[in-house]
Amino acid sequence: MTVSVPTPGDLQALFRARGYVAGEALATAVRLVVALDKPLLLEGPAGVGKTEAAKTLALALDTRLIRLQCYEGLDAQSSLYEWNYARQLLHLRGAELAGERVGDDELYGEKFLLARPLLQAIREERAPVLLIDEVDRADDAFEAFLLELLAEWQITVPELGTLHARSRPHVILTSNRSRELSDALRRRCLYHWVEYPSARQELEIVHARLPGVNQGLARQVTDAIQALRALPLGKPPGVAETLDWAAALASLHRDHLDAGAIEATLGAVLKLREDQLLAAPTLKQLAAKAAEQAASVPVADGS
Amino acid sequence: MTADPAPPLPADLATRVTAFVARLRTRHGFLLGPGEAADALRTLGVVDVLRKHEVRDALRAVLTASPEQRRVFDQEFNAFFRPDGGPLPPTLPPLLPQTEAPGVEQEHQPSPPNGADDAEPEKKPAPTPPDSGDGDDQGDVDTTQAQPLGESDDGSEDPDEPAQTIRTKLSPNASGGGEFDATEGDLPELLRAAGALVRAVELGRSRRLKPMPRGPKLDARRTIRAAARTAGDATLLKWLGRPRRAPRFLLILDGSRSMGRDATLLLRFAHALHLRSRRVEVYAFSTGLTRLTPLLRGAPPGKTLHLPDLGEAWGGGTRIGENLLKLARQEREHVNRDTLVFILSDGLDTGPVEELERAMRELHHRAARVVWLSPLAGMPGYQPVQRAVKAALPYLDGLLPASGVGDLHALAGRLKRGGALR
Repeated sequence: MTVSVPTPGDLQALFRARGYVAGEALATAVRLVVALDKPLLLEGPAGVGKTEAAKTLALALDTRLIRLQCYEGLDAQSSLYEWNYARQLLHLRGAELAGERVGDDELYGEKFLLARPLLQAIREERAPVLLIDEVDRADDAFEAFLLELLAEWQITVPELGTLHARSRPHVILTSNRSRELSDALRRRCLYHWVEYPSARQELEIVHARLPGVNQGLARQVTDAIQALRALPLGKPPGVAETLDWAAALASLHRDHLDAGAIEATLGAVLKLREDQLLAAPTLKQLAAKAAEQAASVPVADGS
Repeated sequence: MTADPAPPLPADLATRVTAFVARLRTRHGFLLGPGEAADALRTLGVVDVLRKHEVRDALRAVLTASPEQRRVFDQEFNAFFRPDGGPLPPTLPPLLPQTEAPGVEQEHQPSPPNGADDAEPEKKPAPTPPDSGDGDDQGDVDTTQAQPLGESDDGSEDPDEPAQTIRTKLSPNASGGGEFDATEGDLPELLRAAGALVRAVELGRSRRLKPMPRGPKLDARRTIRAAARTAGDATLLKWLGRPRRAPRFLLILDGSRSMGRDATLLLRFAHALHLRSRRVEVYAFSTGLTRLTPLLRGAPPGKTLHLPDLGEAWGGGTRIGENLLKLARQEREHVNRDTLVFILSDGLDTGPVEELERAMRELHHRAARVVWLSPLAGMPGYQPVQRAVKAALPYLDGLLPASGVGDLHALAGRLKRGGALR
C-alpha cells in the first residue's frame, strides 16, 4: 500500500488548523516519521509541546492516538499485555467442576488476553500514532525492551509467539532528559530538539488556541513570558503556562498587564516561590511598561 | 505500507551527503554507520532538495541524537554545503572530548584560535585583579580558619597585597593549566577504596517489580500457571519483589589552580571508580565545565592517565555556582535519585553565592545524596566558614575530608555511618 506523505508545508497547515503552531524543522521531522517509518524522539524543556505534537499528528492524519505514559517501574507486561487472571481462575474452577481438562492453549488464548498500549498499536489495521511519553522516566530495562519493537516492529508473547505489526505505527517518543537515554535507542530514532517558541510563534499560538483573548493582552503576555525565560529560573514557564496565564487574565476581564493582575495570576506562570521572588523586579518593570502602553493607546486611537 | 517511491538522486548530491556523514563520524565522533548514511540518502528522496533549509532540517533529524550534536551539525552543514564561492565559515573545533577513539587522546591538539564555540578566553597573560568579585574573594580568605593553603594565610590582616595574590590565582581569567598527566602508582590502593565505596552504598528499592522468592505483591501470572497443575487451586503462591537500586556516581572536580594536587588525586580516584562501576560520571570545572567521562572510558587501565588540554575546566579561576547550576540544568540526565554526587572543592569561589545556593538546592532535590569533599575538612580545627561551603551546607548530606588516599579509603565507612540515603 502506498501512502501519500504530506509536505512540511502541508503538515504545518494541518497542525495550525488544529491549534498547533509547528516550526518548519519540526514539520520536516514529523514528515520523516511518516515517510521513513522511523520513530521520532522529541526532547526539549518541559511545556514546549512535545506531547501535543503527537496528539496533533494523530488528528492531522485522522488516525488513532495510542499513548503509553512511562513511569518508574513500568515493565513489559503493563505496557504490552496481561492475562485476565480472575477469568482464568474462574475458568479453571468451572472446568474442574465440570470434570474437564484445561490445556495451555485454551487458558492462554485470545479470550483471556488484555492488550495494553504497545500490543494495541501493532494490532491496528490502520497505522496509529503511538506516543511513548516521557520515556526517560522508565528504567534502562524497559528501554532495552523497546528496542525490539522499534527496530523490528514485532513483539514476542511467550504463550502466543511473535506478533508482527499489521501496519507500522507512527511512533513519537518524548523525553525531558531526567535520565540519559542509551545510544541504542537514540540510533533507532530520528531526533528533534523542541525549543521554546519565538515571541512571534508564541503570539500565534495564543491566537490559535485562545481566539477570544484581546490582541494587546496576548502580546504583553508573550513578551512577559519571553522576558521571564531569559531569567535563570528553576522552572521556566512553558507554552502551557503562557496559555494558562492568558486565559486567567482574560477570565478576570483584564485587557492589559498591571501589578494587580500579575499578582493575582502569578501562580499560573511561576510554580516555585524562589522563581517568583527572582522574577519580581522583572515583572514590576513589565507591569509599568504595560500600564504606560495602555495609557497611551486611547490617545493614539483618538488622535 | 510504503511511502511514495522516491525519484533517483543526482549522483554528486548522494556522494556529498555520504562524505558529509563520514565527516560527522570521523571528525566529531557521531555514531553514524551505513544504516544512518542510507537513511540520510532516503531522506533526500522525500524532501525538496532545492530547498536548502528543508534538506538541513531533514538531515539533522536523521544524523543527530542530542542538542550538543545539533549545534555541531548546523555549523558543519553550513560549512559543507555553502554555495560555490561563498565565504568559508570558521573551522569548528572537534567536539571534544567525546570524539576520539580510545587510546588516541595524546594526539589532541588545543582548539584552534578561531574556534566558534570552544575558544579559550582564559588563555591570556596573568591579569590584573578584576573589579568585580573582589569583596567576595576577600570574604573567602578572611573566613578560612584552617588555612592550609599559602594564598589563604592572611587575608584578614592585610587586605591589599595577599588579596591581590589570591585574586590573581582565583581569577576567572587565570591562565589555563595545559595538559594533564597522572601516574598510576597508587592505582591498586585507589581501586580498593573505590570498591569499598561501591559496596558501601545502599540505596533503597526500585519501583520495578520482578519475580523474587518473597515480595510485597502476588505474581498472578506465575501463580495461575502453578495453579493450572492443581486444577485451579492456588496452593503455591508466587511473589514479585522490588530489587535494590544500583548506585550512580557523579564526581564534580574543582580544577581551579588552588585545587591542583587534590583534584589530580580525585581524578585518579574517579578513574579507579570507573573501573569498578560503569555508572560513573565525571565533570571538571574551573571557569568552564567539561565532561570527562568519555576520556576516562577510553583510558586504558594500568597506564598513565593522560588527558588533553581541558581548557576552561582546568587550572583557571573558580566559579562553583555557575558551573554547578549549568550541570544541574543542562546535564540534568546525569543526576537522578540513584545518583551520589561528590563535589570536590575547597570552596574558594569568585561567583555570586545566590547562584551556588540555587544549584545546590536543585542537586539536593534531584540526587540521592550530595557530599562535599574538601581538602581542608581534615585539618584540625577546620570550620566550614568559607562563603561557598557555608551557602552549600544546608543542602549537603556530608562535608568530608579528601586530602589523601587515606581519606578516600575512609570515605566508604564515613558514608555508611552517615545514615540512610534518600
